[in-house]
Amino acid sequence: MNSSSLHILVLLREVTDPRPPAKLTADGYDIDERGLRRIVNPADICALEQALCLTEQFGGSVSALCVGPARCADILMSAYAMGASRCVRVWDAAFAGGDVVADAQILKRILEIVKPEVFLSGYRCLDCGDDPVPALASASLDIPYVNAAVKLVANERHEFDVLCKRDRGARQRVSVSTPCTLLVTEDSCEPRYPTQGAVLKALEQSVELWGLAELGLAGHLIGEAAAGLDRERLRFPHPNPRRVVTPDASLPAFERILALLSGGIKPREGKTHVLSAEKTAARLHEILIAEGLCNGSQ
Amino acid sequence: MMFPNLFSPLKLGNVEVKNRISFQPHLTNLAVDNLPSEKQMYYWGERAKGGAGLIITEELTVHPTDMAYEKLIDVYHAEVIPGFLKVTDYVHQYDSKIFAQLNHNGQQGDGSISRLPVWAPSPVPDVLFRETPKAMEPEDIDEVARYFALSAEHVRRGGFDGVELQFGHSSLARQFLSPLTNYRSDEFGGSLENRMRAPLMFIKAVRKAVGRDFPLGIRMCADEMIPGGLDLAQVQVICASFEDTGLIDFMDLSIGTFYNLYLVEGSMHTPLGYTIPLAAGVREKLKIPVFCTGRINDPVMAEKVLAAGQADIIGMCRALICDPFLPKKAQEGKLEDIRYCIACNQGCIGRIGMSRSVGCVQNPTIGYEKLWGEGTLKPAPVKKKVVVVGAGPAGLWAAKMAGRRGHNVTLIDKNESVGGQVLTAMKGSGRDEFGVIARNEKEQVEKSGAVIELGIEVSVDDVLKKQADAVIIATGSRPKSYPVEGCDGPGVSNVWQVLNQEVEVGDNVCLIDYDGHHRATATAEYLADQGKKVHIICSSLFIGAELGPTQDLYLSRQRLLGKGVTFTPDIAVMQVSGDIGNKSIKGFNVYSNIWQEWEGYDSLVLAMGQEASEELYYGLKGKVKELHRIGDCVAPRKVDMAIWEGHKLGRSL
Repeated sequence: MNSSSLHILVLLREVTDPRPPAKLTADGYDIDERGLRRIVNPADICALEQALCLTEQFGGSVSALCVGPARCADILMSAYAMGASRCVRVWDAAFAGGDVVADAQILKRILEIVKPEVFLSGYRCLDCGDDPVPALASASLDIPYVNAAVKLVANERHEFDVLCKRDRGARQRVSVSTPCTLLVTEDSCEPRYPTQGAVLKALEQSVELWGLAELGLAGHLIGEAAAGLDRERLRFPHPNPRRVVTPDASLPAFERILALLSGGIKPREGKTHVLSAEKTAARLHEILIAEGLCNGSQ
Repeated sequence: MMFPNLFSPLKLGNVEVKNRISFQPHLTNLAVDNLPSEKQMYYWGERAKGGAGLIITEELTVHPTDMAYEKLIDVYHAEVIPGFLKVTDYVHQYDSKIFAQLNHNGQQGDGSISRLPVWAPSPVPDVLFRETPKAMEPEDIDEVARYFALSAEHVRRGGFDGVELQFGHSSLARQFLSPLTNYRSDEFGGSLENRMRAPLMFIKAVRKAVGRDFPLGIRMCADEMIPGGLDLAQVQVICASFEDTGLIDFMDLSIGTFYNLYLVEGSMHTPLGYTIPLAAGVREKLKIPVFCTGRINDPVMAEKVLAAGQADIIGMCRALICDPFLPKKAQEGKLEDIRYCIACNQGCIGRIGMSRSVGCVQNPTIGYEKLWGEGTLKPAPVKKKVVVVGAGPAGLWAAKMAGRRGHNVTLIDKNESVGGQVLTAMKGSGRDEFGVIARNEKEQVEKSGAVIELGIEVSVDDVLKKQADAVIIATGSRPKSYPVEGCDGPGVSNVWQVLNQEVEVGDNVCLIDYDGHHRATATAEYLADQGKKVHIICSSLFIGAELGPTQDLYLSRQRLLGKGVTFTPDIAVMQVSGDIGNKSIKGFNVYSNIWQEWEGYDSLVLAMGQEASEELYYGLKGKVKELHRIGDCVAPRKVDMAIWEGHKLGRSL
């Protein structure tokens, strides 16, 4: 590895396709697993693609990480097929029931062990939106992180010029040097499609499995034991109210009654004034002044 | 699940309600000695058993000056607590929550019951009670606030899960809020801030009494719908202000006042879900859950309202009076088993308004849940062969109940479909929902195992050939064959003949109404809808004298007047005569005794009473082992009594 090569760790997360209707389990605490379609978080794939592009530019290695049960090995096989040089799956039954703080402890420990120069992942998850775990883990190690990155430009000194999405469509350009955490958006790049040969070759690779022992974490620091939040029953969110036409309060009461009893309320109509041209102009002027669109002079 | 929104839980304050169906507060007149009664326990319990997530009791009066009805519960007395504990324990066993509604009716009360002057913000008499109230002094307002708090404490100790304050259509709080009834010039009147002062005192007093963890909600009138009163825009501001105090957990809504009671309790002629736009309008401005109530008698409509975000919980009152098990049936997807309310208002509001206990035309078990509620029907010890003649409401219920008990039942009717007179009554203008009575029961009769034979007119011999162990005659009634002299002449028909289109009716019609109910007015409207000129002559003080208790009078008269129908009351018709095109009527004014005559009508239509169709009964009397007759063939009455008798006999056979 030359002096300018980069050692990058990419976190790949399994998410569920949000399109099929979800059902709650009988106890109301979880989503029913049946019928769910699991996919790799699209933004994480973009992060992997960005990592591969960086190593192609500067040299170095890309390690892919997935925290999840055995089925997540398939995700890492895809990472191998795309070009990752090392894949690690981290899992232990004790991880279950953790909240974001507890999960961040696990990721923090992984970052301490792997010590990547750049930690890349997706900015948001497809199914649940924001995932604060990568940012929390980085912050706890004093590693700067940049979220919502749409474009990464690096130089030989491993300084990144990052274009980020901000509120209401604004863009912000920030600079950061390694070690750093970059959370990229789903539309930041077009992930490569692995060739058939690469997929077949990936099948020959082995995925490292780390458990509690490899992480060196005590049970009380992770999972349900470390969670600060209690589980609350899940419920489906209420849709935003559909706008309905309500009786026009300015109408006389009898007309409001008629409106209700007619079985449907018509949208309010604007008031009609029949005035002379002169009075109309004066009234319009008043309205424009009231709306702040015109000063008081005629 | 068919109704994912309707059967999702909802938190009201700290309390989670298992679904979005609330059995709404309404008078029952079932209290005994102004204390909670066993009948109320079983009444509310039956709705909990039927799956309602929330039950809100009838208004409980918080102060001695408020006694709008004789059988209100005086919640300010600690004696109510043992009775409440029985009620709440009973409801809780079915995993439902129960809230109590506290109210002071203010001017909408009756001092002749309490023997005290009624209290109100200003001395403005209520349009219904017509009693000039005492304008409350500031210390009176303090006292009512203290009594609200005391009552809330009793509610909490009584085991309730939450409390609702009635600020809606009939309440002192609304009278403070409304410029229509609050003329005060002190700190409790004038500006909206001042008008809200007393209601806020009540809220704060109750919150202090029950603590922060006890759900507290308000029932607001979303629009008084009367000139000078509160409208939706003002109510939105008021509700948002109440919410901003952080003291309330939900907003229940009603509509109208006693000026327009027909809006509070919309009848069959009112569109289904007529209050939805108002609930949605209030919900736009609030973050706390909002209730919507008003002719939502169907889980499909309820689901749509919730899915559209127009309300958070659906208030069902009459729908669950009619069928307490609507929630459970909806959850199980058994929509065909739901007994849908038709908003006829005869058994519920019609009875309550006349100080009788709550009832329901379609549900004879109301108030008798202990005896007749779900799970009380026992198989017959001796299985009999039962023949029921007449598939009107009485026959349908008798057959259904007997079939459910295991009897071998055959139900026979001369018509091609079940329903009897219901099939005719539903043809009157706006009365088509009445036919739901027959639709609700037909499938239930079939499911009970009874065999239905239609299009068969049976004679005495035919029945005897059946060799039945028990024969039930439910042959109904027919219009009186000779109600007035000359009625057998040309151009004279009765309302049943008109609605069944058995006769030609001319363009200039006179309808003689001794009925006072929909039978006459809906037929007059039916004819007016055809462009005919209709005049009604009746013997009572006004047209539709029986329509007041069911809240149909106002809108019926409005529609009739709008369609050009004219009225002459106070007349006892003694003779009709003349040829088609020149029919005349002779009668006298029942007060002045002066004879009068009307002439020049093309047709005369009579609504002059019914007579029992009892021939088959008398033909069989003494010839069969067990003979019963039920419904109109005993004495022509309304459909509630037909169903009552059919149900009772079917249970006891």
